Amino acid sequence: MSATRNISYRDAVREATREEMRRDKNVYLIGEDVGRWGNLFGASAGLLQEFGWEQVKDAPISEAALMGCAVGSAIMGMRPIAEIMYIDFITIAMDQIVNHAVKYHQLSNGQVKVPVTIRTQGGIGMRNSSQHSQSLENWFVNVPGLIVAMPSTPYDAKGLLKSAVRDDNPVILIEHKSLYFTRGEVPQEEYLVPLGVADVKRQGQDVTIVATSYMVLQALAAARQLEADGISAEVIDPRTLWPLDAQALVDSVKKTRHCVVVTEAPAEGGWSGEASAVIHERCFRELARPVKRVCGLRTGVPYPTHLEKAVAPDAAWIAAGVKEVLG
Amino acid sequence: MNTDDLLRYYSQMLELRRLDEMLLELKLQDLIMDGFHPYQGQEAVAIGVGAALRPDDVVVSNHRPQGHAFAKGTTSRQIFAELLGRRGGPSQGIGGPMQFIDAPNNFFCGSIVGSGITIAAGVALFMKREGQGRIAVCFFGDGASNTGSFHEGLNLAAIWKLPVLYILENNQYGEAMPVREFVSADPISKRAAAYGIEGTTVDGMDVLAVAEAAMAGAEKVRQGAGPVLIEAVTYRYKGHYGGDPDHTYRTRDEIELWRQKDPLPRLKTHLLSLGVPEADLARMDQLIVQRLKEDQAWALAQPFLSVAEATDHVMIPLTK
Repeated sequence: MSATRNISYRDAVREATREEMRRDKNVYLIGEDVGRWGNLFGASAGLLQEFGWEQVKDAPISEAALMGCAVGSAIMGMRPIAEIMYIDFITIAMDQIVNHAVKYHQLSNGQVKVPVTIRTQGGIGMRNSSQHSQSLENWFVNVPGLIVAMPSTPYDAKGLLKSAVRDDNPVILIEHKSLYFTRGEVPQEEYLVPLGVADVKRQGQDVTIVATSYMVLQALAAARQLEADGISAEVIDPRTLWPLDAQALVDSVKKTRHCVVVTEAPAEGGWSGEASAVIHERCFRELARPVKRVCGLRTGVPYPTHLEKAVAPDAAWIAAGVKEVLG
Repeated sequence: MNTDDLLRYYSQMLELRRLDEMLLELKLQDLIMDGFHPYQGQEAVAIGVGAALRPDDVVVSNHRPQGHAFAKGTTSRQIFAELLGRRGGPSQGIGGPMQFIDAPNNFFCGSIVGSGITIAAGVALFMKREGQGRIAVCFFGDGASNTGSFHEGLNLAAIWKLPVLYILENNQYGEAMPVREFVSADPISKRAAAYGIEGTTVDGMDVLAVAEAAMAGAEKVRQGAGPVLIEAVTYRYKGHYGGDPDHTYRTRDEIELWRQKDPLPRLKTHLLSLGVPEADLARMDQLIVQRLKEDQAWALAQPFLSVAEATDHVMIPLTK
């Protein structure tokens, strides 16, 4: 194993951005306060000083314009990283994403490419209430032509962002505001994490927990609790929600015969249902029990800390879900 | 502008008029979708602006794009095929009348009102960095001037001095609503001042006036002055979509008044005064119609894409 460093998720995002901007002058960052502030969490701190305004563009609070600008420049060969400060603000840019970014390649019969990387962050953890804390990934899974990824570790955050920038499809990377200051091992040398490939975060025999983003950390905590009860849980992080690495889920569930799917986003009409359906379709004979979903409540996120925490799954919810499927 | 230029504008406007008439006929036969948006009446805008463009400029157009595409260089034959949904169209027929892409011709359009205003800014961001004097040209209507994209896009283009020529085609109606009921500014070009950019209003029924304004505006934009907005005041004869219930929002008399300003007879009178024989112009019309009939017959003989071909480019496959 080569040398690693222990860095934060925030710094992993910054390293990926810096490396890609150094590698290719067509890569540029555009977003609200990505320059002077260096992003709300410091994920682009220092990049304006290194790269200048040509590659680090503080945009006005105009999400439609900054996303339209990203799309227009991408069809000309630039490779924008368009940052939407909170995923909740992406509502203003949905037209440019859904009607334009993902349509041009097909409408041009493959002649036009739109290599836009959208970076944003969602979820609870900062007492931001209902318009700054949502988990909206399910919307994007419903957009043909869009790749949707949600890194849960510094290693994945860096490797997925670098792959996204190099991919010729529009990609949305949804980070999580409760993850920026978590830490993890990242290789000294350059690496990529491929889009569309899941990762087994913990090996186990009795149950498969499929979890995304911040819920991966909660699932790992649940797995440690369950171990004390003699239950061996495998934790799988799809990393890319779409295209889904179905085979990784299927392989695990065929082994464990039990599955819990965990998302902070509400279950109703969501990606957790897609994951669950894939497992039911492909592992029906192997499943000892139906797949159980442990998901956030279908509600606006309330402001007080304890109420905010109360509407999203935690290790205790997940452990309870596992015990339910294990009967 | 010499007589050859004027003859070219006349020929282009005439071909566009005849093309649009034939497209409307195809719509009435249900071979083109019901919501097809005819361009008749507005030809002077597309052709006048087209006179100011270089082949490597990029046009971002809207839901009524056939005139703009034609002026940029997409052929009538290609337009027939695209609107009929067949191979040979710029998007091989999967885009249809409102959202096709002619990539080799640097032409884009889309059917969400106003969106192109922001996309054109991004195209121009690249051109500004490239520094070759290319410009983005964005066509949109009076209705689009009320969208958030208009405000966000013009502001962004203005603060970054992006090379975009914005062409606002004021054709008097946003679908069925009269412009004076829904746009607060009169003329609409006054809105440019709010973004600190130049805004002018021209007679959009006069191809020479449009061409002069577009050439002057394009030159400023190419020189790095930032975006320029030109409002071309014009009129659509055939409704928002062909066969819309236009008696609910306008009178026959009103249409007739605008037809008296039709750009084709106006330029014809001018050409005759310059000594161009009337018979030459009549012959030009015959030749255009004959060629268009051939183009239409060709387009109607083209096959459709298969389902597999039509859905082949949703996403570029991942390489693992």
